[in-house]
Amino acid sequence: MSTTDSGVVDVVLVDDHLMFRAGVRASLDATIRVLGEADDVDAAIAMVRGLRPPVVVLDVHLPGGSGGGGAEVITGCTDLLAQVRFLALSVSDAAEDVVAVIRAGARGYVTKAISGPDLSDAVRRVAGGDAVFSPRLAGFVLDAFGTAAGDVATGDHELDRLSAREREVMRLIARGYSYREVASELFISIKTVESHVSAVLRKLQLSSRHELTRWAAARRLL
Amino acid sequence: MTSVGLLPLRRPPRGRVLGGVAAGLAAHLDLPIGLVRLVLVLLVPLGGSGLALYVWFWVTVPAGDPTALAAQRPAALSRIAPHLRQPGRRIPLTDIGLGLLLLLGAGLLVAARQGVDLTYSWALPALLGLGGTALAWSQLDTMQRDRMLARAGGRTPVSVVRLLGGTVLTGLGIFLLVGRDEPMDDLLRSAVAAIAVLAGAALVLAPWWLRLVRELGDERAARAREAERADIAAHLHDSVLQTLALIRARASQPEDVARLARAQERELRAWLYDDRPTPGTSLAAELGIVVAEIEDARGAAIETVVVGDRVPDAATESLLQATREALVNAVVHGLAPVSLYLEVGPDLVEVFVRDHGEGFCLDDVPADRFGVRESIIGRVVRRGGTASVQCKPGRGTEVHLTLPVTAG
Repeated sequence: MSTTDSGVVDVVLVDDHLMFRAGVRASLDATIRVLGEADDVDAAIAMVRGLRPPVVVLDVHLPGGSGGGGAEVITGCTDLLAQVRFLALSVSDAAEDVVAVIRAGARGYVTKAISGPDLSDAVRRVAGGDAVFSPRLAGFVLDAFGTAAGDVATGDHELDRLSAREREVMRLIARGYSYREVASELFISIKTVESHVSAVLRKLQLSSRHELTRWAAARRLL
Repeated sequence: MTSVGLLPLRRPPRGRVLGGVAAGLAAHLDLPIGLVRLVLVLLVPLGGSGLALYVWFWVTVPAGDPTALAAQRPAALSRIAPHLRQPGRRIPLTDIGLGLLLLLGAGLLVAARQGVDLTYSWALPALLGLGGTALAWSQLDTMQRDRMLARAGGRTPVSVVRLLGGTVLTGLGIFLLVGRDEPMDDLLRSAVAAIAVLAGAALVLAPWWLRLVRELGDERAARAREAERADIAAHLHDSVLQTLALIRARASQPEDVARLARAQERELRAWLYDDRPTPGTSLAAELGIVVAEIEDARGAAIETVVVGDRVPDAATESLLQATREALVNAVVHGLAPVSLYLEVGPDLVEVFVRDHGEGFCLDDVPADRFGVRESIIGRVVRRGGTASVQCKPGRGTEVHLTLPVTAG
């Protein structure tokens, strides 16, 4: 179980700015309890290993460790990924940050401009095993996997392309639709939307797609 | 040659016979290649000056495509992956020729030593030595390419082979030249001694050389860091510190503070994370400017997502204008959050502008409301695109613009 019986989700906050942690703590609603806070890579790994919270809200840029930031925290806890889920929270829009933490195993990516209720919602969603895509992350996915029909034909591997439905879902999310709105727009259930998003997340994490590499190279990520 | 500037002096990979010097000079001086070759050949009898000139240019002028250099990729296409360019694969005829020549020389030399008496025996070692030197010096010509390869992560053993081959050949040439009257045994023994001395010297000097190389690399990195730090400091001073001072001065006016902070955040973000495309080459960048203007003027936040990019043209300019109107409409009449999505496909550019207000239905809009009909829909339709407004109760309003484009 990722949530306690009372429906309260325990989280650990990892961010190197005290002010920001205080702000996040204050903006989370009553169903989310902050178990602990850490401010660098090593402290974060130690705390996550000690507390095993269902959700870790994690900044992408962190001091300490070997300089890998949030992605390093996730790789340091790879064996716990079945119980502990990571939600990346970043001020940065940079593609390399997004790709690094998602490929390390984060279940979601939101920017720090997110509102309190939305963040609480994202935490609950991640705790429930779903993936959380911000509009911008959906945009990255479309950019990386290609939006046009011409891009689909290049790879045969199932991991290397989005299905038509997944692409539609990604486009709606990029257009600012919530999961609920996506569901009603496409006449499918929210659960189906969630499973599409999880499938895309899996592809983003596992794909060795040549376009993804090319895309990363174009942005000097490799 | 009127207003067109001279092409840079490079030795082009195509159209070369030997080293590409004549072709490069012809392109640089905008003269027919035949004329350049003729002049070079005519200069040869004049004390070999044509030959010397040729070798000089060969060694000093870097290889490259002058026309490609002149027409650098105009792209904010830096956002888009460059197309792989297949280099024209050609058989290295000159290299093979040079190798054969050297082999011939070596063969003749060996023959001479075996008893065939060649009176010009001094010439061959000299030739051999010259050939080796040329081989080693041809390094200079490939150095640039090697450096690029090294940066891209690749490493060619070619330069090492060149250097080794050149050294061996030159050594052999000098050796034979100096000891051409000695018996074979003495020669061999002294060769071994010489090599041993060289190896000893290399062993002693290696750490010193390594340190020199490392120090050079460190210094270069330090200088790059220093320049970057100065760059960042200058930028922070120009923008962020100024904005902070302004914010402090206007602390009592929350709207101004929010506007300043947002503008500064956007600018810093663009500076830190985005590629800086050349103006006029990126639709995404132009959209960013439009969004920034509206955010500043109206004090609203617009969540912008862009997929793909292209070089803007007149049609996308109309699309941008229509997008601007749609955004203003959403910010003024709609409710936050406002989302903007731009997708550039190979033959279609799409824009979605969405807000969470009650919206307006196109049929309800009176014909005299010039704003929506003319400035949003008319602009796009005139360019062969489509425009539609979708609004559902409780789900906000979404303006959808499409514009067909030609691949580019």
